[in-house]
Amino acid sequence: MSTLASDDEIGHLISRVALGDRNAFSSLYRDTSPKLFGVCLRILRQQAQAEDALQDIYVKIWRRAASFAAGKSAPMAWLVTIARNHCIDMIRARRPDPVDIDDAPALADETPDPEAVAIGASEGRRIDHCLEELDADRAKAVVGAYVEGYSYQELAEEYGVPLNTMRTWLRRSLIKLKECLQP
Amino acid sequence: MSSDATQMGPDNERDVALAGEYVLGVLPMGERRTAERRIAEDEAFAVLVRNWQTDLAALDEHFEPQQVPPAVAARVERRLFGDEGARGAGLWGSLAFWRGLAFASVLIAAGLALVVSGAVPLPVGGEQPAMLVADLTGENAPIGLVAHFNRDAGTINVLPAALQDDGGHSLELWAVPGDGVPRSLGLVPHDGGVIAIDRKHVEELGEGVTLAVSLEPAGGSPTGAPTGPVLVAGALSGG
Repeated sequence: MSTLASDDEIGHLISRVALGDRNAFSSLYRDTSPKLFGVCLRILRQQAQAEDALQDIYVKIWRRAASFAAGKSAPMAWLVTIARNHCIDMIRARRPDPVDIDDAPALADETPDPEAVAIGASEGRRIDHCLEELDADRAKAVVGAYVEGYSYQELAEEYGVPLNTMRTWLRRSLIKLKECLQP
Repeated sequence: MSSDATQMGPDNERDVALAGEYVLGVLPMGERRTAERRIAEDEAFAVLVRNWQTDLAALDEHFEPQQVPPAVAARVERRLFGDEGARGAGLWGSLAFWRGLAFASVLIAAGLALVVSGAVPLPVGGEQPAMLVADLTGENAPIGLVAHFNRDAGTINVLPAALQDDGGHSLELWAVPGDGVPRSLGLVPHDGGVIAIDRKHVEELGEGVTLAVSLEPAGGSPTGAPTGPVLVAGALSGG
């Protein structure tokens, strides 16, 4: 189909959509809907629901374009965030978590591993490097939650641990990840 | 890590984790809504969420682009713009719009060429060119517009055409001549870019006069002066 638009071009289109420019909107749709449809299919896993979601997402994009702040977020990332949030809302409504998770247990009992911190992050992306610092299954849980939209309930089943244990794991993993990601 | 300013305290750590859980999407619906209320009310927490969104956006590459059934585009358009939007006017890659736009551009180019070559006499008092162009831009953004002023026809053509208001607003075009008092030249039409200018204002337009577009209540400024933010502005020049 069309060549992939650069982030700059997408940002420019969003700015024009903010002014109600329908042609910019149709260009934006043409350039970005395959990616966002990929998000919908991945998280919702049903063609018809993914199509419905995509419609809703572009209606939201049209209405929220004016709130896009070019300096604060990357244009494509902003669009993916809208799509992911919408799809996650849909599956959380579809599969309500039956269990009320206890609030988080203590977090601060794991200190960063000095050796791991000492490894340079000069190669590859920072996120990959930082995920590698986590235990492999915990890194997988983080990526699975982000990409597949897994709930705590599903993660707990997948890893065969109680829900609260799963939450403790994931929260600790997030803290470690953030410590690594911080500049 | 020793204690320094960048280290997370226990409260902050809890919020960092909660913001991360929200962005990952693992929270049950109730907690998700609670987190969203906090994003709206607590700027520090909103910043934590935005930072996680930036950090984790690197994982977006896991989403492979997928082919979208063509019917979805038409359904989106119908929902946003009604039947009129879905059919006509050359959206969604219809050639009609682009052909029209290209045709208009050709006319403009031809008009300029004719003036330059002297094939068409300049208007009386011809120290002012018959065609002037203003690039309208705005710091906070939005889109750049190009306004072509045709003195003979008494029109200004604003490109890109097909601007839409959001239902509650209109875009109003203003001229600011030497005395600094804005004159309304009319609303930027929704379905095409040509604005017919009142004759008395045509006389006032010339090189160096600033054109500006402001966001106004539907139907235009109720006071006769701009009331909303000026989105874009620029001076007319001979191009």
